[in-house]
Amino acid sequence: MNGRALLEAERVSKHFGGVTALRNVSFAVREGEVHAICGENGAGKSTLIKLLSGQFVPGSYTGQLRFQGKPVVFRDVREAEAAGIAVIHQELALIESLSVAENLFLGRLPQRAGRIDWSRMFTRAREVLDRVGAEIDPEMRVADLGMGQKQLVEITRALSRNPRLLILDEPTAALGEDEVETLTENLDRLRAQGVSAIYISHKLDEILALADRVTVLRDGASIRTQQVAGLTPDTLIQQMVGRELREVFPPPGDHRCGPVALCLEGLAVRSKRPGAPRLQNISWSVRRGEILGIGGLMGAGRTELVMHLYGLWGQRVAGSVTLDREPYLRPSPRRSLSRGMMLVTEDRQRLGLVALRSVDQNLSLSSHSAISRWGWVQRSAEQARNSAVMEKLGLRPDRRLLSARHLSGGNQQKVVVGRGLLSAPRVILLDEPTRGIDVGAKRELYEEVRRLAAEGIAIVWVSSELPELIGMSDRIVMMREGAVAGVFDRPPFDARRLMAAATGQTM
Amino acid sequence: MPVSTVVREHRTGASLASGVLVMPFVTVLLWGAFAVWEPQFISPRNLSMLMIELSVTATLAIGMLLVILPGHIDLSAGSGVGLLGGVAAVLVFQSGWPAPLALTAALLVGLCLWGGMAWLVVRWRIQAFIITLGGLLVFKGAFWLVIESSTVPIVGREGANLYSILTTWYVPPRYGLAALLVVGVLWSVRLWMQWRKQYRAGLAVDSGEVAFLRVFTIGQALLLVVLICNAYRGVPLAFLILMALAGVAHVLTQETTFGRNLYAVGGNLAAARACGVPVDRVVLLAFTVMGAVVAITGFMQTAYAGASTTTVGELMELDAIAACVIGGASLKGGRGTVVGTLLGSLIMASLLNGMTLLAVAPEAKLIVRGSVLVLAVLVDVRMKRE
Repeated sequence: MNGRALLEAERVSKHFGGVTALRNVSFAVREGEVHAICGENGAGKSTLIKLLSGQFVPGSYTGQLRFQGKPVVFRDVREAEAAGIAVIHQELALIESLSVAENLFLGRLPQRAGRIDWSRMFTRAREVLDRVGAEIDPEMRVADLGMGQKQLVEITRALSRNPRLLILDEPTAALGEDEVETLTENLDRLRAQGVSAIYISHKLDEILALADRVTVLRDGASIRTQQVAGLTPDTLIQQMVGRELREVFPPPGDHRCGPVALCLEGLAVRSKRPGAPRLQNISWSVRRGEILGIGGLMGAGRTELVMHLYGLWGQRVAGSVTLDREPYLRPSPRRSLSRGMMLVTEDRQRLGLVALRSVDQNLSLSSHSAISRWGWVQRSAEQARNSAVMEKLGLRPDRRLLSARHLSGGNQQKVVVGRGLLSAPRVILLDEPTRGIDVGAKRELYEEVRRLAAEGIAIVWVSSELPELIGMSDRIVMMREGAVAGVFDRPPFDARRLMAAATGQTM
Repeated sequence: MPVSTVVREHRTGASLASGVLVMPFVTVLLWGAFAVWEPQFISPRNLSMLMIELSVTATLAIGMLLVILPGHIDLSAGSGVGLLGGVAAVLVFQSGWPAPLALTAALLVGLCLWGGMAWLVVRWRIQAFIITLGGLLVFKGAFWLVIESSTVPIVGREGANLYSILTTWYVPPRYGLAALLVVGVLWSVRLWMQWRKQYRAGLAVDSGEVAFLRVFTIGQALLLVVLICNAYRGVPLAFLILMALAGVAHVLTQETTFGRNLYAVGGNLAAARACGVPVDRVVLLAFTVMGAVVAITGFMQTAYAGASTTTVGELMELDAIAACVIGGASLKGGRGTVVGTLLGSLIMASLLNGMTLLAVAPEAKLIVRGSVLVLAVLVDVRMKRE
């Protein structure tokens, strides 16, 4: 186990715009070890993985990579793969419309005389699937597989390339217990064969059970690398959190909550494609001036829920939604906005911003009627409104004509929030609003949300970070597998009980 | 109030910031080369013809820009030019309708056809590429049916009418200058008032010098245009039509909520929808305006050709798309301006006019036009990367 270093990173740094994602991170994976990386959301885990696997152009980061002792530069993913690094991504990179076997051998399909040799492909697919113990028919379409099976296909694909280093990014987030078991066995077998693995996970007990060593990242820097033996979850948490987290959150106001603003009863929703409902029997309500936290593990259906409420996802199959005492039947973004409900999306780049346009134009996008007369934009009215909200959110006014793409992640998030506020909302849905923004910006956002609640706005706050959920919410709903797993009515909240609800354990 | 600290990114983005400098430069080079080769190129008569050709190309290109901005495309524009010009020609010169009535009727046909295509695009989520490719063929067939695959000359038996004068009437020189003066003064006053209003509100403004210089340069350019035109017969009516249309399109894209929505839809469709932008309505409106623009281009192009024949409008959609792209528009949408499109059209029109004057073989003309388009995009892509 005390093998030579296989892959080393030395003082690597990476910035996105104004945000530092990695700061002088040094770390090494030895041959034949399972090396875990842990850290809070936004600590830089995913960025580090991307850097190690050749997803950033050389020159867009600083620092040095060494593979088997020799300095290397991976110009793209293919070069990293050629060196023997295989990545299994958090978001699966499978082509749904193709068969399992085609996905396994994509880019190197077995051929004979220039044509695909189907029978050989299926036989070989059977072999590699057997080797990892996956009972999957190689002729099936990937789209017809369950989440865990897809994950196994992805893992099988990575292993079929005989990698020297396997990188697993949150591999168990969507897996059931049996599947986790299979994964563990595979990792053990690999270790025996001298293959190394980097294992990223939020689940600390998993890390402690699986890994040989663990590196803790915090705010883009590596805090320390240590042997797993003898570590406890508490030590890890302490290293991950570092600062006195509890003090970050502003205290709740002493205002009283008003009448119910948004109420869900027995809601069941499926995706637009027919199938079993993704969300089942969800009931809760949020009152004016109240902050309702929604927690759960990845894939619990939190994002789908708020996207559905706003009108961006799914088809309702049962239950009702009541907004300001009126039923809300067929949600759409336009209808939601006109009825005073806004969403701050988790997917800022795709759903939140028109990156090419100016900050001003992005801010106004949801409230054109308020800044125009007969379709004519009144610049002075626009700028006055925008100035007010920019000041409120701490956005520098001299940025207003800049394209949104030039802003840092935190400022982009402020633009998204600002645009929502300009549409005069009475209900605000926040989906991971602090993802990818730095500590200072977080603090400002927390305070702003408290102020909004004090103004009598109902707030639904989806978060993956337990401390945030605990620190900000008046009430917490935990979700698991598309259903409500527990409702916690008043502070103080007990992190362990919340977590137990999210994972389905009984305490 | 420290107004000067406001960071002002170039309003039209990096592509035009470079394009605005590069394109006039390329135009001057092109003109110089043609002039050396064939001095006739810079004769007042040829320049006047070039103006008319530019007017036709640029009008269609501006309509195309409105479709490209939200990320769509219109391949049927060329066929539509032939069809709508032909419909009007048949109504006027065979059925004896009064010209204004016939032109209005053809314009309405344009609005309906393009509105219909847009409806298919937004209602059934079919790509505009496919719908308008179908339109290209259908309209061409309909066009040949309408003119019975023959030739309908654009010369009135009872003398000139509104249709026939579209590309033959010129503003008399004296009136041309007077009109320029009036427009120039009114425009400067409006700009100055706007500038002062924004300055007082503490908003971002250009410095006085820059603002003056801009007005001065554009004024000089327009004066030059009028003087050149006056050396022949005056400013062509077609050019006035183009200027009016360009003015409307510029205001539409830069000053209205419709314009904001156009850029938003093209820049990030999913985000625009999530922000409550009426995406379908925006696309529908853009295509409908395109229908009107195609009709107007059809009238001008048919009148300029002197007759409605089966080849009128052929490949014009490609010239229009090329002009937009050379002018800095992105076919992915969300990027492009009216001014850039005008400059892009000027390059395309100059190229075609010069090559015709030099009696370049039609085969070579096609090859050159295609190569210029590819080259322009290549340069644009390279500049954006840096």
